[in-house]
Amino acid sequence: VQPPEKPLQAEEWNKLRENFQSPEIFEEVMLNSMIRCDSPIDVAKSLLTHLAKRNGDIAYNVLVKYLTLCVQQGQVSEICDVYDIMKVRFKILESGAYNLLIKGLSNSDQWRMALTLLEEVKKMMIPSRTCYESCIKAASRHQEMKLAFELYDEMLAKDVVPTLDVLQSFFDCSRGMKDAELQKELFGILLYLRENQIYPHKTFMRSIKLWFESIPGGKWRGHLTNIKNSGQCPVCNHQLEDSNLTEEEYSNLSERIIRDVIHGTDTFRKTSPQEFEAFQTFVENRLPFDIVIDGLNVSHIKPRKMQCENLFDAVNCLAKENARLLVLGRKHMLINSSNWKREIMKEMQNKADFFFAENISEDDAFLLYATLRSGKHCKFVTRDFLRDHKACLPDSLTRHLFRKWQRGHQIVLKKKSFSSVFSQQPAFRYDCVVQTTGDTWHIPYKDVFEEKYSYQVPRKWLCIQQK
Amino acid sequence: MQSANMLLRKIVRSSVLPFAAQHGMKKDLFPLSRTLSLSLCLKQDKSCEPSEKLDLDEWKKVMKTGLQEEVSETVSEPKELSSLAAARETLEMWRLAGRAVPENISEEQLKTFMECPSKSAKKKYLKYLHLKELHKKNDKRKMDEKRERKLEAQDQASKMDETKNSSFICMWSSTMNKAYNWRAAQSMIFGQPLVFDMSYEKEMSVREVANTVRQIALSESCNRRSVDPFHIHFCNFKDDSLYHTEFIKQYREAWGKLLITVTDQCYTEIFPKDKLIYLTADSPKVMKTFDHDKIYIVGSMVDKSIKTGVSLARAKRLGLETAAFPLEKYLLWSTGAKNLTLDQVMHILLTLKDTADWKKALEFVPKRKYCGFVNKPVNELKKTLDLINTFKLGKGREEVRKQFPKSYPKKYKLK
Repeated sequence: VQPPEKPLQAEEWNKLRENFQSPEIFEEVMLNSMIRCDSPIDVAKSLLTHLAKRNGDIAYNVLVKYLTLCVQQGQVSEICDVYDIMKVRFKILESGAYNLLIKGLSNSDQWRMALTLLEEVKKMMIPSRTCYESCIKAASRHQEMKLAFELYDEMLAKDVVPTLDVLQSFFDCSRGMKDAELQKELFGILLYLRENQIYPHKTFMRSIKLWFESIPGGKWRGHLTNIKNSGQCPVCNHQLEDSNLTEEEYSNLSERIIRDVIHGTDTFRKTSPQEFEAFQTFVENRLPFDIVIDGLNVSHIKPRKMQCENLFDAVNCLAKENARLLVLGRKHMLINSSNWKREIMKEMQNKADFFFAENISEDDAFLLYATLRSGKHCKFVTRDFLRDHKACLPDSLTRHLFRKWQRGHQIVLKKKSFSSVFSQQPAFRYDCVVQTTGDTWHIPYKDVFEEKYSYQVPRKWLCIQQK
Repeated sequence: MQSANMLLRKIVRSSVLPFAAQHGMKKDLFPLSRTLSLSLCLKQDKSCEPSEKLDLDEWKKVMKTGLQEEVSETVSEPKELSSLAAARETLEMWRLAGRAVPENISEEQLKTFMECPSKSAKKKYLKYLHLKELHKKNDKRKMDEKRERKLEAQDQASKMDETKNSSFICMWSSTMNKAYNWRAAQSMIFGQPLVFDMSYEKEMSVREVANTVRQIALSESCNRRSVDPFHIHFCNFKDDSLYHTEFIKQYREAWGKLLITVTDQCYTEIFPKDKLIYLTADSPKVMKTFDHDKIYIVGSMVDKSIKTGVSLARAKRLGLETAAFPLEKYLLWSTGAKNLTLDQVMHILLTLKDTADWKKALEFVPKRKYCGFVNKPVNELKKTLDLINTFKLGKGREEVRKQFPKSYPKKYKLK
């Protein structure tokens, strides 16, 4: 339906309604299309008047729709009127109406009323993040930074995750202010990004850069750059943080992987206790390895080649400088078949240690265990992203640790066409996370549509240094 | 006149937005005052079309005047609401806002609702209740209609006053039941055992347990009706378990009279180990024929969040033989998980037992999950299917031919 352009009389509305195929929902459909077309508010009002005259009442959902229209057009006094009516009419409101009211009021001079409304919501439920977002933005727009940060802290305490928009608004609104307290809070936000491994997008990055450069007397300078593979920043020659985990993180992660990934709810699901024990003694007797290879994964790199040939190439390619290799496979690889030739397998077993798991066991879990047990220098080879193993870890902190460790220790073999040479995508040497040394900040950022997978990390950086 | 107006409007549709902007701007020139009474007269003369006398804010007046009595009522009410009442209140508002919320909700359901850990869990639970309510209403409506039709038919029949002659005795369901029960009783002495493993309660949510029990009840009924029923065993069945309460809800007093064996013992204690076969979709072994001397075990578990390898792990732990239905071999699988519901498994096993015909047995696999039965080698069929898909996508013939060797490497990792 196309909404009318001018307010209509009751009879005209009636006529329209009769022509509509299902008159019961006519008002709803009409208001929806008014919202879509951003119709003048008077038209909606005339519809409401017609409704009120006919029924002596207006249903809640119609009121909410009207409210949506008012909020969309920023009709503040109307919003207030609707709120007054709703408040008397209904004992409590539901979250949708509150969201709208807060959003509408926070954009106006009445923004303090949005705060009182937020208090009202808190009595009943945890406010949504859009509620907090509107209030925080309103407060920081009016330079009430202290209030904004109070709301922000409250939001975090309630486990409501802030949007990047809110974080950005803090930087936008504090530009040029000289206030030590405020500066500390904003550094706190940057550390929040660090702890949760969040990468700001390009516009957010720009806000951060502008804020830094605007601090009076701060003498901060920002540059956009790409970090070298060695982990050195080309602008300030600063070496970025190592991707290695700390001792504590490392032992924590290995413990979690054994407990949650390998054993999980039932050791029998991925392996069996006997097999795992056998594997453990096997690994302990031969420690440490330099590279652990997922044999089956590597053997599928080139589909046209025999699987054992693929594996053979990979082992040859990695067996340089006396590196100690461990290849994990399954027992079916030992049976002579078209894909697995016994002679080649024998030859390989001279170059590397092999462990063959049962055909129904999961070899990935063994891969993780052997690599972690070998120590920090040990890398592993697989094209698998290991998402399902990451998912077995119970909390986000450990999952982050896992990703970080994986970035630093996974080697991915890539095939080069028509030759037997593999190219390797090296493991990351530096940690891709917001970091600081006090007088420098390095902030990775992403272009909006890039790096959308959890294993990908941004390659672009913002380098900020104090002169 | 009106229709002509509409037509005109459609023609100038593209100009609606600029018009709206203009209109809005014009209105902003008259700042709306907070008090309703003042803004009323202001707008009355200015913002309306001159020919029409339309009070745009009249609805506010209506809404407010209609309220006077109610307001006085609400004031006298105690302000503090108990958490239950508050939740009920919120639900009511959600219903008014047009969300999927049930009209009536019991105390117990309300408590479950409040215990939901997250907003989305709450939403899901409410939607479930809402749909359940709708189904119930529809069923009731249909029942009523049916009853009416029946009454009408009876009226007509009495008018006709016609007596039917039949050489058969009318078999009422009670008679049928007696016959079925007789067969089931026989199966308890001579029948082939079939085990339901009731040890998965910890892996399931309350709703999944309820679904499991429902599926088992269906399996039990179709077993009872079959020509040669299994002797059903519920093993690892604990008396204080959720299974038990759900079974009592399902069967009521009939629970005590079921012709099945219920025990808290494990199947390994009752039967020789070498005769047991655990049926699980994760098994690496594929079932070739139905063996009349073996005892098949079915895990009583509904896993909506697919938990791979749970029942295989159990069989591994006890060192039992496992088997999976040869779904891949006989069906060209399209979508859906390979785990079937318990009643489907029961149907398949019963058919196998009677006929040993896989094709007939696998008719009970839901049609949406497969494209058809395999009459040629599976690889060829897959090729034709892919060909059809490629043509649908509109790729050239050459491209298709080129793609063949590429898309069929033996790159499936052995699981």
